Amino acid sequence: MEIKSYNLLNVGVGGQGVIRAAQILSYAALLDNYKIRTAETHGMAQRGGSVASYLRFGTEVEGPLIPRGKTDTILAFEASEAVRIFNYAGPETVFLINENIIVPPVIRQMGIYYPNLTEIRDFLKNVSPNIFFIDGIKIATDLGNPRTMNVVMLGALIGLQVLPLKKETLQKAILSYLYSKFHDINKKAFEIGIEKGVELRGGSND
Amino acid sequence: MIRPELAEENPGKKIIMLGNEAIARGILEAGVVIGAGYPGTPSSEILPTLAEMQKFYPHLKLEWSVNEKVGFEVAYGGSMSNVRSVAVMKHVGVNVASDAFMTACYAGARGGMVLISADDPNSYSSQNEQDNRYFGLHALVPVFEPSTPQEAKDMIKYAFDFSEEYQSLVLFRTTTRLNHGRADVILGEVKVIDRDYGFDWDRSRWVCLPSHSRVLRMRLLERFEEISDYADEFPFNALKLSGEKINGIRYGFVAAGVPYSQLLNALNYYGIVDKVSILKLGLVFPPPKELIKKLFAYSDEIVVVEELEPFLENIMKQIAFEEGYSKELTIHGKDIFPQNGEFSGEIYLENIARLIGLSYKKVPVPENMLIIPPRLPILCPGCGHRSTFYAIKQVEKLMKTKFVNSSDIGCYTLAVYKPLEGIDTEVCMGGSIGLANGIAKVQSSDNPVLAILGDSTFFHSGIPALINAVFNKNNMLVVILDNRSTSMTGFQDNPGTGITITNEPGTRVVLEDLVKGCGVSPENIWVEDAYKLNETIKKLEEAVKAEGVRVFISRHLCSLVESNQFRAQQIIPPSIMVDQEKCISCMICINKFGCQALNSNEADKKVSIESSVCRGCKVCIDICPQDAIYEEIE
Ligand SMILES: Cc1ncc(C[n+]2csc(CCOP(=O)(O)OP(=O)(O)O)c2C)c(N)n1
Repeated sequence: MEIKSYNLLNVGVGGQGVIRAAQILSYAALLDNYKIRTAETHGMAQRGGSVASYLRFGTEVEGPLIPRGKTDTILAFEASEAVRIFNYAGPETVFLINENIIVPPVIRQMGIYYPNLTEIRDFLKNVSPNIFFIDGIKIATDLGNPRTMNVVMLGALIGLQVLPLKKETLQKAILSYLYSKFHDINKKAFEIGIEKGVELRGGSND
Repeated sequence: MIRPELAEENPGKKIIMLGNEAIARGILEAGVVIGAGYPGTPSSEILPTLAEMQKFYPHLKLEWSVNEKVGFEVAYGGSMSNVRSVAVMKHVGVNVASDAFMTACYAGARGGMVLISADDPNSYSSQNEQDNRYFGLHALVPVFEPSTPQEAKDMIKYAFDFSEEYQSLVLFRTTTRLNHGRADVILGEVKVIDRDYGFDWDRSRWVCLPSHSRVLRMRLLERFEEISDYADEFPFNALKLSGEKINGIRYGFVAAGVPYSQLLNALNYYGIVDKVSILKLGLVFPPPKELIKKLFAYSDEIVVVEELEPFLENIMKQIAFEEGYSKELTIHGKDIFPQNGEFSGEIYLENIARLIGLSYKKVPVPENMLIIPPRLPILCPGCGHRSTFYAIKQVEKLMKTKFVNSSDIGCYTLAVYKPLEGIDTEVCMGGSIGLANGIAKVQSSDNPVLAILGDSTFFHSGIPALINAVFNKNNMLVVILDNRSTSMTGFQDNPGTGITITNEPGTRVVLEDLVKGCGVSPENIWVEDAYKLNETIKKLEEAVKAEGVRVFISRHLCSLVESNQFRAQQIIPPSIMVDQEKCISCMICINKFGCQALNSNEADKKVSIESSVCRGCKVCIDICPQDAIYEEIE
């Protein structure tokens, strides 16, 4: 696939594996022979703050940052984080959002109102017509390990046909970051994610 | 032992690297022997990556130094001894190292010597966003700045050759997006340098007393002139000329580092990359005068694209003046681009569009904008800092007063937020005790003065300030939050753990002995486990009320480190529960202590504990006035 530049913005909360996803995706893009640039949140990420990683690949990528409005795909591991960066999306942008909401502890404890999933859905409808929600945590938990949520989501990107990477390379990249005892469950998570993505797209599995 | 790809001897292989990994790889490829520094975002991954490589390249001698000044001196001692050496730090670390740096630049380098300064536009993880390119101007040393991880690797490798050729130190400046961005990078050859190492007894060079320094200063000026002459041939500078006009104007862009690659994005986006001239600088100081003159000759308007200060812009204006330009050449810089913060992608698109007369449409803000309250970083569940700050508040209450809580930089700085609101100052590392020295001179005794800082920060720069307090009778209570880790920057070890960067046991420095050695009298030193709340409150009250300079060491291993250790050893932390009958919804645990594991339900506000978050520190058991919180023992 000859691509000039593909822009993916991955957001979430510190500890959800946003940096790991950036590693996986950039390794997969390398396997598919792209030129790659990322920019990530390090440092305070483990203290429960908002984190974002920009990933760009293609023949014409130079700097790592994506301008607002110019993102191809937004992958949100936490739903409210997708709203925070809504203006990185344009009308063509595809959102894949984990239905999970993590209310910041201080907000919850101080009783400050925090938006719910319905409000988030309603708001994002005005941003782009291509918004897909997935209950990543539930799918992962049903599989036996909630930590496979990220892999489910990556699979769903393949199923949605929005990620210009080969399924095989992405799977290889995922497994390369895991101990072999976790390979089977993650392969399953990846497959289920793909099916889920196909289903969301309303397409057939070809 | 699995050999990481980064340590492979496989020139030509392409792998993904984080900018800091690419820098580490370049350091390895350059044949560097000594690497020293102090952690600080965004520089912190460089030395640990080298420490991983050290298993396969035992010639590497690495350390976390106690602070940046010492780290710089360690590296410079290496340079004096003819080995290639690197000092690594964040931008504000260079302030700490600058006393050594400014004079080392006079005597120059023997073994190649590079100082890496990782700057942080937008202060993502810093107390300021100072622009360290000025240190090059200040010290008369060249400043290199890479624009991609590949270039960072190649450029730092070259920096050591350069340093030896010109006997000059090199300041290698990066910014956050370079350090913390990944890209495809091609491995180069790992150089092995075979030469005699060891000190040379050249007193006229290494003893910088006035009679020598005047001579060294002349040599510095000569060196700098040679480097300035060479700037036009610097291999990482590039001039691309275009005679084309856009709306009747020939544009000439000047950029370096991350802004250069971001600028290319924008010019590509508008399809004008071939219609403008571009001077890309790898050497941001001193400037390549001939290249700049050529650029001027091909341009009607110069556009300098740089984050933070108008460093390159001023250089361009100076050269334009020297060359006799006036109205026929306009030099843009801070009239177009902001002087604060990092440039986001759209800042380039928007400002270039405005300048050149293209159209750029901002993303509109929808009418029904949904506001999401901020997600600020917070102290972890089980963090000993939280219980210590809670205890300090309790003592304030008991004494019916307000303390001056002079504090410092570390995870505990997060105690500034609700509900703890436990710190009143934060300026620079070690500043807590230093500032308290001054505050104590004038503060009425009704408001006891506390200086609150972490263990790593105390070792870094708290010690001289403590000695100062003892010596000058600036009475205060110093609270050292000893979590046996440099947590904020990624859990690096420090003298208190005695474990070196390559994971060898070193010598542990015992804080109690250290403060005693600083002159604090033994009866003025208290130590308590931060998880033992009641004991902490009791001893803290004693300590606050005592006379003279006092030290309270509040000790508990960083809860993130501890919970990882527990997981590895399969230790299950205590299970903490709330008796729903006893809980009266007073909300003290939540509103005053605020551990993330505590929840209250919507209906009756009764508290429960989220077991997946709780790390079993048991502090909330002591906080609950109703004894409703308990440990469930199976
Ligand atoms: C001069 C300087 N060097 C480094 C840093 C980066 N830095 C911020 S906090 C910190 C260490 C904090 O460690 P410690 O005092 O032990 O507190 P903890 O985070 O473990 O609570 C460092 C190194 C800095 N801000 N300034």
